[in-house]
Amino acid sequence: MTQHAAGRARTLDSVDAVVDTDAHVTESVDQLLEYMDPADEGLRRIIEDAAHPEHDIYSVAHPTPPFIHTDAFGDVYGDHPTGTVEAKRSEMAEFGLDYSVLNPTLGLALATVNNDRAAVALAKAYNAWILDQFVDDGQGDILTPVLVPPQAPDKAAEIIDDRADEPGVVGVQIPSTGLVPPPGHRWYDPLYEAAEENDLPVMFHSGSGATADIFPVLRKWAETYAEDHAMVHPFTAMWNLTSMLFQAVPERFPDLQFVFQEAGVGWIPYTKWRLDDHYLELSDEVPGLEQLPSKYIDERFHFSTQPLGYTGDHPDHLAKMIELVGPETLMYSSDLPHPDFDPPEELYDRVRGHLDDEAVRGIMGETATDVFDLS
Amino acid sequence: MSDGGRRHRVARAEEVAEPGDRVIVDVGGQEVAVFNVDGDLHALPNFCPHQAAPLCEGDLTGRMVVGEDGWSWEYVQRGEVVTCPWHGWKFDVTTGENVKDEAVAVPHYEVERDGGDVVVLR
Repeated sequence: MTQHAAGRARTLDSVDAVVDTDAHVTESVDQLLEYMDPADEGLRRIIEDAAHPEHDIYSVAHPTPPFIHTDAFGDVYGDHPTGTVEAKRSEMAEFGLDYSVLNPTLGLALATVNNDRAAVALAKAYNAWILDQFVDDGQGDILTPVLVPPQAPDKAAEIIDDRADEPGVVGVQIPSTGLVPPPGHRWYDPLYEAAEENDLPVMFHSGSGATADIFPVLRKWAETYAEDHAMVHPFTAMWNLTSMLFQAVPERFPDLQFVFQEAGVGWIPYTKWRLDDHYLELSDEVPGLEQLPSKYIDERFHFSTQPLGYTGDHPDHLAKMIELVGPETLMYSSDLPHPDFDPPEELYDRVRGHLDDEAVRGIMGETATDVFDLS
Repeated sequence: MSDGGRRHRVARAEEVAEPGDRVIVDVGGQEVAVFNVDGDLHALPNFCPHQAAPLCEGDLTGRMVVGEDGWSWEYVQRGEVVTCPWHGWKFDVTTGENVKDEAVAVPHYEVERDGGDVVVLR
């Protein structure tokens, strides 16, 4: 395995711990099938029969192939096996990441699985696989949320109850693109209730594999992956946040914490202004809220920072944007090994010297240490 | 409060005799509305802190809350809430506070009936 880290200049010496709050694995259907519960044998046989399970079990489709210049579902250099803990630890060593909170890749399209029983079986298999292959080695630096099927909130609650107390489980991941109904709907109450009772934050990670059929519908009329991918993440986040706040999820689940992932930071101030404006103007439609939506965001929501976007033209603008967002709501994330990842320096070098040291340490790791209870 | 405030005779009592009645008057160069809410008189400036609209020319309404069962939407405070005609911001006429954000408020002036007159203390 090539050691790419040698000789890299590091600037992160003043940060005690860098926590990557959105690190990915690149799981295959075959890997999941190996970990499927024996009780799900019949479903496993159906999935095995699919010549193209990404399309006939999941409904993944893109306008054009994802990330044509890089290995979208592989690793950064394509020189070691993907989907392994060795590959992940290699990335962590190269990029100076002390902790990684993992998310799936194919699993981000879990909401596109048409058969609810298959979705539940695949989620359970993923959890068994990720815990066994990545988390259970006792090192404590690789952590994971429980992946849950949004199609079946009652079964999701059972999965949460089953896995919540396992070492290394730090949240509940709801693959968040293509949710029907949207996540403010009471349909999801059993899922939120289980997360709240188990003191786990709910995490919402969008995915461009889930845009085939339902909102935000981009694949059908987008002619390129570039168009689809540019907007699926912020559109998903804005819609989901709007649904959850205006349907008063934070009031209905007062001890629940929320994490939004993969939409960057620039959309947050606009959305806060937009939601506060509608809260005041259309107040009879938001009786469940007791305060400005932005206050719930400040108090109970966190956002992983990647993708920051290209900020090189005016490097100081990123620090200004983070001041608008509220530094205490942000947590650094890399998205590694996906080819739109942000190394920690992409964030750190832009904000140090602009924000105070405490805010910088918070974004790079300390806030995540609290949210995911890593200490 | 009334101490230190000046007394302004602004209207005849019969102009705001019934719940729901209102008059908009000039008080020392500022437009002020006097509302009758369930028989009690309240006065607010005719000015919305949002974008300077004539707040008190809007409808007298109620507001929506979630019922104790956690499910129902109940309409309460009928006739106690003025809804700004420009952008729909709602203020409690009996306090001056925005019904959704108490940090947003207009002054609330006390009003007395003095003989046949309506007196605003401001």
